[in-house]
Amino acid sequence: MYEIIEGFLEAARLIVTFDPDVMAIAARSIIISFTATIIATLIAVPLGAAINFGTFPGKKNLVNLIQTLYSLPTVIVGLLIFLLISRVGPFGFLRLLFTPTAMIVAQTVLILPIMTGLTISALSGVDPVIRDTLRSLGATRLQFLVNVLKEARFAILASVAVGFGRAISEVGAAILVGGNIAASSFASSTRVLTTAISLETSMGNISQSIALGIVLLIIALGVNLAITTVQHR
Amino acid sequence: MIEFDNVSKNFGDTRVLTGVTGEVNRGEIFTVIGPSGAGKSTLLRLIDLLDVPAGGAIRINGLDIHADKEKSLSVRRMMGMVFQKPAVFNTTVTENVAVGLRFRGVSKSETRKLTEDALAMVGLAGYGERRARTLSGGEMQRVALARAMVIEPEILLLDEPTANLDPVSVAMIEDLVVRINRDLGTTVIFSTHDMYQGQRLAHRIGVLMDGAFAQVGTPREVFTLPASREVARFVGIENIVEGVVVEREDGTAVVDAGGVRVRARSPFPRGERVSLCIRSEEIRIAPAIRGRRVSDGNILPGTVTAVVPRGPFSRVTVDCGFPLSSVLSWKAAEDLDIREGGRVEVVFAAESVHAVRQG
Amino acid sequence: MHVLRYICLITMYRRTIFAVAAVMVALLLICGCTGTTTDPTPVEKQQLRIATTTSLYDTKLLDHLTPIFEEKYNAEVLIVSAGTGKAIEYGQRGDVDVLMVHDRAREDAFLADGYGINRRVFAYNYFVLVGPESDPAGVAGMQPEAAFTAIRETGVAGGSDVVFVSRGDASGTHSKEKAIWKAAGFNYSTDVQGSGDWYQEAGTGMGATLEMANEKEAYTLSDIGTYLAYKGDLDLVTLVDEGDILLNVYCAMQINPAKYPDINTTVAKDWVNFMISDDVQKEIDSFGVDQYGQPLFYAAQDDWEKIGVTEAEVKDPIA
Repeated sequence: MYEIIEGFLEAARLIVTFDPDVMAIAARSIIISFTATIIATLIAVPLGAAINFGTFPGKKNLVNLIQTLYSLPTVIVGLLIFLLISRVGPFGFLRLLFTPTAMIVAQTVLILPIMTGLTISALSGVDPVIRDTLRSLGATRLQFLVNVLKEARFAILASVAVGFGRAISEVGAAILVGGNIAASSFASSTRVLTTAISLETSMGNISQSIALGIVLLIIALGVNLAITTVQHR
Repeated sequence: MIEFDNVSKNFGDTRVLTGVTGEVNRGEIFTVIGPSGAGKSTLLRLIDLLDVPAGGAIRINGLDIHADKEKSLSVRRMMGMVFQKPAVFNTTVTENVAVGLRFRGVSKSETRKLTEDALAMVGLAGYGERRARTLSGGEMQRVALARAMVIEPEILLLDEPTANLDPVSVAMIEDLVVRINRDLGTTVIFSTHDMYQGQRLAHRIGVLMDGAFAQVGTPREVFTLPASREVARFVGIENIVEGVVVEREDGTAVVDAGGVRVRARSPFPRGERVSLCIRSEEIRIAPAIRGRRVSDGNILPGTVTAVVPRGPFSRVTVDCGFPLSSVLSWKAAEDLDIREGGRVEVVFAAESVHAVRQG
Repeated sequence: MHVLRYICLITMYRRTIFAVAAVMVALLLICGCTGTTTDPTPVEKQQLRIATTTSLYDTKLLDHLTPIFEEKYNAEVLIVSAGTGKAIEYGQRGDVDVLMVHDRAREDAFLADGYGINRRVFAYNYFVLVGPESDPAGVAGMQPEAAFTAIRETGVAGGSDVVFVSRGDASGTHSKEKAIWKAAGFNYSTDVQGSGDWYQEAGTGMGATLEMANEKEAYTLSDIGTYLAYKGDLDLVTLVDEGDILLNVYCAMQINPAKYPDINTTVAKDWVNFMISDDVQKEIDSFGVDQYGQPLFYAAQDDWEKIGVTEAEVKDPIA
């Protein structure tokens, strides 16, 4: 109990004083996960839209498959990406292993299914009357798609939040492909909140772990708060 | 202007439209009435190219609108549609109304002006910056009407637009539709399951039953001269009596209905089996006085079987060999001393009896 | 210092739904867009990737040496800390430029297979058997082999609190532990692994294993460096620290450029030579003395005979 209280006090100090190490790790986490989320959004939204608006055989099975992939274990994704980008792997020539880029790739792959699935749900959730109204107003195919997406924007935004939350809180893939490196330059380091918590705990630095954990929590809550605020306008 | 040529449509095994044939004239308000499930929405959706017919054709100005996919967009852009369920885009009222203009690439300043005008027309001036989702159902439906009208369509399709609204909003929408038709000359097709609404608004009515028009005509024709027993029932004629024409002279006929003779207007020859449609409002009930004669009319003796209060009136059913109902004010019923089991005479003119051939 | 400010910004930014996206992008740009690129250093700064055994990392020895190297060679050192087994795996796959490990037998195999070249020994220390002060198996002061035997006997007999936590992760320490079991006359996989609840495999780094042994009041084998570095947080005490078999020798080696031609050979060479340079050898000898009252590692330079390696391996810089 004493350890936990002491940990929290120290954590508060690290956060309030903007401890450079903690803040750098937090900033890196945000950058990596936001980038992954943005890339995943750029893929998931058009993909989800294509699946939702398209009619093709096996559509239902595809949607089921995507939903199954929601629970893709992070270490499996990590292992897969590791094997692909390791020097002897097919993309080894890119030299991506142990870089932030590798982590972005892994997180993108990790959150792609859930973001695609939620985009599909978001679009399916648009009232059929809204769709009819758009068509009756003389929308071209493209205008129709854009406006249905617009109508689903808040639900899609929620899927972005879910994706970001999953990306920033996962540890398995981050440690496998990132290597938890603390280099002297910000950009070469791959230590993020989750991997740092894992390391600091194993090294017995409980207060550091708690501080990082609180920062992670604040970021996750902050993003969700921002999105709920926007949604309830 | 709009021509239906044996239009049919089915969803899976369900045949919704079995062969709609008819015509809507330029500049008129044409209401499609009929019971729920008769295919009213489907017909309007086919006109707006939201669905494709299984058979037959819909022609606008002679053009088969479903024949050429290339022309779909330009055809659809001639029309505006308002749906039964009030649905607005999740944005401001102004943005909602502007959507159709944006699709057509109308300039910003023009859009602004047209949008303001359209909102003023539906009585929502000053609502522009509100979020459309926060409006009441009636207001949303007026936004929908403004949104459909701002693009100045030649044809306005309204699919039961007042079905979910309160009476005040219904009146407002009806008034708007009449004004739009009168002031802008827009051809209006308005579907409703409310026959009185159909009657109030329409220049002409199409009665859609079981997937086809059972009758197309002016409100007067439809309500007084229903084409079939089913139409008669739908337009609220309570007294429908089966019989056979036994005599004919000068457009009136004598019909034998189970032994009771009824004079009726009828073009049908002797021996024809007919249904006689008599509106309750056309039937008088009088105390039984022997020896009264009304030329060219009907006086049938009978026994009161039921007196049921209906609003400020009483609905009185008399057995004259077949049941006939009439509506009397409470006072009249009291003055005439009408009570169940009492003997009365049922009086109505031959002109009040509309005979239709039994289908 | 940025994070909270941006979170505030996010919550305040209500104008459009794109606010969040805007903040994401802003953050990306401000905090360093270089974070996402593969070649983040426009200046001619070379990157050196090292896979190291956890003991060199957890003791912070490398954290201490890295800045000196980076300054001197204008390079950036990226360290992936893993067990020796995993480090060797990274080396074999060509994912790093330099290995720093402590498992002589596997190093030899690695070199023989042609994956590694230019091994240099830069430090050594001793493994220690640590355990709870109560010492339920009564092994204090024994020879390592005898101590292991006693722990196993007590553990297998059951009914006592004897637990041995093994790294269980194919690390150098794990190799050493297996070697001791073998020297004590046991077959590791049949006599030790799976012989009862007394023997538990942690499957994690040295620091975490010590934490675990501490929680379970168990015995474990640790390198002295990591143990000393963690000692402040632990109730475990040193029970056995003498015996030739406990010798722990650290080496650094390059990954063979013949296997992976675009490996970073120059800086890798610099690093290995740096580790056996006089200055660094002195640093190694003194590292941790201030904090722990004794060195965590000994410099290999002058003790090559004692630790059984050739003089060339401790002194000759790579050409």
